Amino acid sequence: MRNPVSVLRLPRGPDPNSRGFDPNSPRFLALCPTSISSSTGSGSDPVQMGEEQCARSALREGFLRALVAMTNKPVQFDMYERVKVHATFGSSDIDVLNFQVSDLHTPIGVQKEALLRCQDVILYSFDL
Amino acid sequence: MAIRQTPLTCSGHTRPVVDLAFSGITPYGYFLISACKDGKPMLRQGDTGDWIGTFLGHKGAVWGATLNSDATKAATAAADFTAKVWDAVSGDEVLTLSHKHIVKSVNFTLDSKHLLTGGNDKTLRIFDMIKPDADPQEIVGHSGAIKKALWCNNDQHILSAADDRTVRLWDRSSAEVVKSLSFEASVTSMEYMPEEKILIVTYGKTISFYNALSLDLIKSVDAPASIHSASLHPDKDFFVAGGDDFKIYKYDYSTTEELESYKGHFGPVHCVRFSPDGELYASGSEDGTLRLWQTVVGKTYGLWKCVLPEELISDSCDASYPAATELKA
Repeated sequence: MRNPVSVLRLPRGPDPNSRGFDPNSPRFLALCPTSISSSTGSGSDPVQMGEEQCARSALREGFLRALVAMTNKPVQFDMYERVKVHATFGSSDIDVLNFQVSDLHTPIGVQKEALLRCQDVILYSFDL
Repeated sequence: MAIRQTPLTCSGHTRPVVDLAFSGITPYGYFLISACKDGKPMLRQGDTGDWIGTFLGHKGAVWGATLNSDATKAATAAADFTAKVWDAVSGDEVLTLSHKHIVKSVNFTLDSKHLLTGGNDKTLRIFDMIKPDADPQEIVGHSGAIKKALWCNNDQHILSAADDRTVRLWDRSSAEVVKSLSFEASVTSMEYMPEEKILIVTYGKTISFYNALSLDLIKSVDAPASIHSASLHPDKDFFVAGGDDFKIYKYDYSTTEELESYKGHFGPVHCVRFSPDGELYASGSEDGTLRLWQTVVGKTYGLWKCVLPEELISDSCDASYPAATELKA
């Protein structure tokens, strides 16, 4: 009987929670120009990098706070093909690819639960 | 003591895997991209099959996928009538190129500055990556849906295979047909080896090898079943093929004799490709998996470990799984 070749382990499969492309992998750190890491010390001006990082953090924080503020509130979504719908916002997935909403009002009726594809959304607005 | 091949199964896709491509060898190893009918092409580390990321954005089945040589860019062709270009390091979508029908094939030039696409609208298109908004150069002529379109001969020519049962060689500058091959059956796949300038075409149960400049036939081999894809080893020692009977066949290239056949997939094999270093080959199947196969069975490489006879304690068939160590990319 022939013996099978031994393997160290099986290939790792996809992570169910993210789309991957680990920003801490050596390749990402070396090749991604927008990844800012103090340890890489790239050629550009550190003061400028610092300012950019502050701006990025402020924008990201604002965005995340907006998502939190929107939870369980009615939100109007303007989408491609002149689609205007409104729904109660539930949550976003980690890569901001889908928004989970409830009571989505559409021209063909109210959808109790739905997922909106973020790339189809042009703008959304809600009252604070 | 005889050794049995242990294929490594890469799971993750939920529908048939229809295309796969390797990158060249980069300072971070080499990479593999798989096109799947689930619309979510995946990037994997080439020598281990470890998942790196999924390119999210297509709204239909992805029929073709490719990587540029240094695996910094990826391109995909889909049933949503678009081809997309991606940053293969961050996974971000960089460009969406609209077409008038299902796109089946995408291929970068060596300098990654141009992208060739082909699909069901029977037209070849060349997009300039630096001026993506400009209209692409269009090459018409095929009377059937284009299955595969490749740059060849240092990007001076284009090879295209279509459902009109022809393979055509086009001059890039003049956009004219230089040479044409006709077949009795639909061409199922086409692969080009740049160093050796060899073209591999599969149709029916046949695997044929041509000189890519003259399209003269070098040799032809018939397999036991319909073949969907074949790949030649970089050193031209062997070639592998897979098709309808779920098996992977390995042939000696010089003698064309069948050396081995491997069972493992649970559905027809749609694509097979050798890695750039020739140490393994990957196969994609209707069963939704990719499998990695060793070229030299038993050699220590990637996740495979050579075990000397003294180390084998029992005759058990179970592969050994020592505690997983963190492997860096």
